Amino acid sequence: MSDPGTLALAAIASVAADLPAGAALAALAFIGEAADWEFVVSNADYLGVGALLTIGITVASILLGFVVGFPAGAVEVYGDGLLERAVSIVGIVLRGTPIVVILIVMYFVVGVPQINLGVVSISSAMTAGILGLGLRSAAYQSQIFRATLSSVDDGQLEAGRSIGLSRFEAVRYVVVPQALRRSIPGFQNEFTIVLKDTSIVFAIGLAELLTRGYDLFSEQTTAVLEVILFISAIYFVLTFTTNRALDYLGDHYAIPEGESA
Amino acid sequence: MSDDDFLRVTDVSKWYGDEQVLNEVSFEMNRGDVTVLIGPSGSGKSTMLRCVNRLAEAQEGSIRLDGEEVLSPDLDVNALRREVGMVFQGFNLFAHLTAVGNVALGPRRVLGLSEAEARDRAEAQLERVGLGEQFDSYPAELSGGQQQRVGIARALAMQPKLMLFDEPTSALDPELIGEVLEVMHGLVDEGMTMLVVTHEMSFAREVADEIVFLDDGHVIERGPPEQLFENPEEDRTGRFLERIASHD
Repeated sequence: MSDPGTLALAAIASVAADLPAGAALAALAFIGEAADWEFVVSNADYLGVGALLTIGITVASILLGFVVGFPAGAVEVYGDGLLERAVSIVGIVLRGTPIVVILIVMYFVVGVPQINLGVVSISSAMTAGILGLGLRSAAYQSQIFRATLSSVDDGQLEAGRSIGLSRFEAVRYVVVPQALRRSIPGFQNEFTIVLKDTSIVFAIGLAELLTRGYDLFSEQTTAVLEVILFISAIYFVLTFTTNRALDYLGDHYAIPEGESA
Repeated sequence: MSDDDFLRVTDVSKWYGDEQVLNEVSFEMNRGDVTVLIGPSGSGKSTMLRCVNRLAEAQEGSIRLDGEEVLSPDLDVNALRREVGMVFQGFNLFAHLTAVGNVALGPRRVLGLSEAEARDRAEAQLERVGLGEQFDSYPAELSGGQQQRVGIARALAMQPKLMLFDEPTSALDPELIGEVLEVMHGLVDEGMTMLVVTHEMSFAREVADEIVFLDDGHVIERGPPEQLFENPEEDRTGRFLERIASHD
């Protein structure tokens, strides 16, 4: 049981198994080992940098995923011919390829360059990570939008056309606002998945939150659970606040429904 | 009334696959006329109506509106629809917009009016259909009759020269039909040119200048309401009117 990963799993399993019994107290005492919490606290800045990296990659990937995925979904619904087929095939390939493979292809095969933005420069590993996760997210997001765009009744588009809007305008002013509202639940899912999948970038040498946690408890094997709990708490806060923010957005833009409707 | 042939439909035919839904349909309307298309379901009357603003494409024949060929491949359909209002059986109000938002969208985005001008126009049209109190209600907060009146206001806000009504009261509860017909009566009185598909025979009888009876994609008979209702020339017309009457 020297492998820290196995240790961590064993620790979590034992906590889960023992909780109903009186042994829960023992587990709490175990978690509360002062020296190990001190170890976590003293490395909080190290983990904090990882958390920032995680947030950065997530936000950039989700945005890239939206910017590429929304038009892709629209092309799948409204497009035809070669473009529609091409978009659909690229989507199938991206969704069907393991994320590690996508990242490795981006980093080692495509060899994306470092990007200088004046103030900050983004390493090529970071660029590859964002591109990989972002394009995969685009492939998934395109399906969210494909579903919600198709779910808007055809009569809405037709009514838009009947007052003289072009097809593009009718989609833009009538269908899209309704589809985006319906996309929020699917988007919450996608955000949560991308957030947790950022840990995969360790495959191309990026030390985000989970990788740094792993490094820490490999160093101090008695603090496995403390580190894991601390990291989980960060993930939870990120997921919870974002999901609540999207809930709020959903409520704020909800279309009022009458009693008689 | 002068014979200006404002709308002239000539030998219009349309197929869905192998099935012919319109078979050389012809009729004419003058400016200010009200023409009512009647016929059993599946007779092609809604399809005929939709060919006039190109929501459906006729494959043969000619539709001339105010001297312009509607079926021409070079026609700017958006420009055509700017001038031809349409009211749908299922209302098709924009679900995410208020009553004002529904009516203002066309003036704002198609006619290029400013936000304030579009809102003013929308409010005026909603008042015209008796919805001065419902400016900021969403479609789902309105009754069916109110929704359909918003639908009419939305079409009127474009200041159309022809209004198409596709069974405007068929989806309404009986007690809500009256308010929509009342608005339509008002438009007739104002001299609006209207092409109406409906099963409301009393409305047709009262306001129509001409009734066109369609069955199986053919014009079976057409003429002023008195003639069609009192002395139909064709057996099919008589039988259809009797069936309708027995439901009233």
